Amino acid sequence: MAAKCESRDKTFVGVVLVTHGAFGETLLAAAKTVLGPQDNCQAIGVDVNIGVDETMEAIRSAIRSVENGKGVLALTDLFGGSPTTMSLSLMKSENLEVITGVNLPMVVATLQARLLPLNELAEKAKDAGQQGIKVAGAMLRKKTKK
Amino acid sequence: MILVRIDNRLIHGQIIETWLPFTGANHVIVANDGLANDVLQQEIMSLAIPQTIESYFINVDRLSEKIEQIQFINDAQGIVVLFSSCPDAKRAFDSGFAFDNLNIGNVHYSPGKKQVSPSVALSDEDERCLRQLTRKGVELDFRCVPNDPVQVRF
Repeated sequence: MAAKCESRDKTFVGVVLVTHGAFGETLLAAAKTVLGPQDNCQAIGVDVNIGVDETMEAIRSAIRSVENGKGVLALTDLFGGSPTTMSLSLMKSENLEVITGVNLPMVVATLQARLLPLNELAEKAKDAGQQGIKVAGAMLRKKTKK
Repeated sequence: MILVRIDNRLIHGQIIETWLPFTGANHVIVANDGLANDVLQQEIMSLAIPQTIESYFINVDRLSEKIEQIQFINDAQGIVVLFSSCPDAKRAFDSGFAFDNLNIGNVHYSPGKKQVSPSVALSDEDERCLRQLTRKGVELDFRCVPNDPVQVRF
């Protein structure tokens, strides 16, 4: 742990996925399949059967474990859902941005752009998440008709 | 229509995605003493509520007064009332907010509690509160979301 590392990679933004159930964990595993192993990212599942305080502490410790001094981006699923509201509550104490609607294009783009400052990374994550949604079948049909 | 619900998460995905559309309510009252005094947490919880729905965060003891006030306004199509615990629901009932039905959505497990449904675990005190309410004619409904089967466990 004490070994000094000169790599600039140590200064990237941390990433946590905070979702309902095992969604985030599975999503992160899928992103790693695409990109290979990733440091400083974690997934936390919110289980309705576990108390709010206990879950908040689990999210807080996940955030702190991926924090490298550049802040942490929390990717959550449903706007208005408890994974999102709990993450928002932690903005008081952590250097954190929260972005909702997480999908695989968003996770992949985020993990690849973590040298950006936190606010820019959040914008990039949003764009990637939105641009990753296409009616791909219709696009193909339009192309093949030409 | 007034839906009265116990949910330790108060406003969250199940409320926004299912109960609000199901009831057609345009008012949500969170009756919780802690939240009534925490403006930041109120902002966070109401961030995702559709703009057509009015939300209020009040002390448990002020509930009947608030309901009267809202019902006086003609546009009250429906009201969702949320408590975070069984004792809070009982306290509101005792302080004059009479309701006929109580939906018990999420009451999380902790050691010493009895799991009565996948999303509800009750302490002895919770059970006492609910029994006292049923004795006063309140019907209990253990649905997490509207299309769960209505299950009576008392």
